[in-house]
Amino acid sequence: MTTAQPAPAPLTRPELVCPAGTPAALKSAIDAGADCVYIGFRDETNARNFPGLNFSRREMAEGIDYAHGRGAKVLVAVNTFPRAGRPEVWHQAVADCDSLKADGVILADIGLIDHAARHHPNLRLHLSVQAAASNPDAIRFYVERYGIKRVVLPRVLTVQEIAEVNSRIAPIETEVFVFGGLCVMAEGRCALSSYATGQSPNINGACSPACDVRYTETSEGITSELGGFTINKFAHTEPAGYPTLCKGRFIANDKASYLFEEPTSLNTLAILPDLIRAGVTAFKIEGRQRGRAYVSAVVQAFRDGVDAVMAGKSLPDIDLDRITEGGKQTTGAYEKAWR
Amino acid sequence: MRPGQVRGNVKPVQPPFSPVLLLGMALKPVRPALLQPVFDGVLKMLRRRHPDILDRMADYASKPVCINPVDLPFVILLDPNPDDPRLTVRREIDPQEVAATIHGPLDVLLALAEGKVDGDALFFTRRLVIEGDTEVVVALRNAIDGAGIDLINDISAELGPLARPFRTCASAAVDLLGRIQDDIETLRTALIAPAVKDSNAHNARITQLEAELKVLRKAARRGGVA
Repeated sequence: MTTAQPAPAPLTRPELVCPAGTPAALKSAIDAGADCVYIGFRDETNARNFPGLNFSRREMAEGIDYAHGRGAKVLVAVNTFPRAGRPEVWHQAVADCDSLKADGVILADIGLIDHAARHHPNLRLHLSVQAAASNPDAIRFYVERYGIKRVVLPRVLTVQEIAEVNSRIAPIETEVFVFGGLCVMAEGRCALSSYATGQSPNINGACSPACDVRYTETSEGITSELGGFTINKFAHTEPAGYPTLCKGRFIANDKASYLFEEPTSLNTLAILPDLIRAGVTAFKIEGRQRGRAYVSAVVQAFRDGVDAVMAGKSLPDIDLDRITEGGKQTTGAYEKAWR
Repeated sequence: MRPGQVRGNVKPVQPPFSPVLLLGMALKPVRPALLQPVFDGVLKMLRRRHPDILDRMADYASKPVCINPVDLPFVILLDPNPDDPRLTVRREIDPQEVAATIHGPLDVLLALAEGKVDGDALFFTRRLVIEGDTEVVVALRNAIDGAGIDLINDISAELGPLARPFRTCASAAVDLLGRIQDDIETLRTALIAPAVKDSNAHNARITQLEAELKVLRKAARRGGVA
């Protein structure tokens, strides 16, 4: 005698949350199939405070109109930590998100979250990955105390751990990174770039600020420096990476090697069905600092991937090698293949 | 030597064998001043259609950038001062004159300007090399990428009644360049085929020797003889 197996729970279509550093990238993301775009103001209130990047208030208003006109949402990252005693710029950023009718704001600092919850009760609050809330107790605290609606999970959990977190915090929404640069440190806590440059990624908004980066071509290849420290040397035939200390190649015991992490990009296309089954509400693509071409290619690939899974079809075979850091890809902590 | 400056006689990017390289050779006798009106027109068009570029570059007004199409016999000097921006074509530029230089083949630079390729990806794969002040280069890259430039559309919009013939000519020119590029690639492959064959044979031999060496080393570590 056989026992009837219970039917698997129906899959919930995840929202595709895509990066945009400029108005042109916002349009590219939406035209390529983004459900939602996340952007930042042109100042230190967001963690991609790079030269020539981000949105003025006028551009943000126009971007939100463009997105809403096409059924897409806009989230605004105000995800740096206000300078001690000078929170006004951050408070103004949150107020502007409210008045510009952004669909939500992504916050990291607990003081700023408290301010937003008290002064902007109708503004949807998301907890940034920079807050590093990775377990049900931490997540419940933010939800119960401040009404956080969605948590962006740090890139340290396996798929199985994500499923477990989701089962214990339901119906709170979770968002996970599915593609792009990897931050291997405790997010929002890393001080490596601050040590080398005097500027904090978590307060000033730029890890490895471009003003402190130098590349020098020599007959052997290219040398990258950050704040005067040599952090890598790439041979002419070797793909280069970002000039971050966590992906620097250092000499220890007479051997040059990547002590923390190799230049590589997260790519979860192959495990999308697992992440969807884990009950994740939204998939986030990293890369507000990248160009329109990157945004279009990655958003299109993940649009096709998610649609294929939801339609019960096999995953599309899409090669994203050409836009990855160091020409390498990994599923990172989701599979922890190094263990 | 300034920080980030290319050291010695290093050629930052090798020009690819392309129609542009051949065109560049043909343009060698031409004085850059004769090409200046083209660049004046391009700047005028960019200012009118994409004012946000200079707006995003406002913090770098006093930092001129050299754009070096490595397959052409001249370079372009961009002075992003919003009150008096300039795009000047020159035979060469002393690195001391500029804050930074961007080296790359013309087709790559144009694709980057139109947002068809990602600047970081070009850098990772070394098809683009930057020299000097990284900050101003990042700002320029972001400003241009964010402008949504489409050269054929932008130029057409400036030409009034000549827009349609221009589009037709531009489309035909792009097709023709593509065909020439294909032919050149065929020619290049044929020319280097004997060298590639030799190289492949050498690589196979090296791989075989490496495998033999590995066996010998392993045996030596055990104190025996292979």
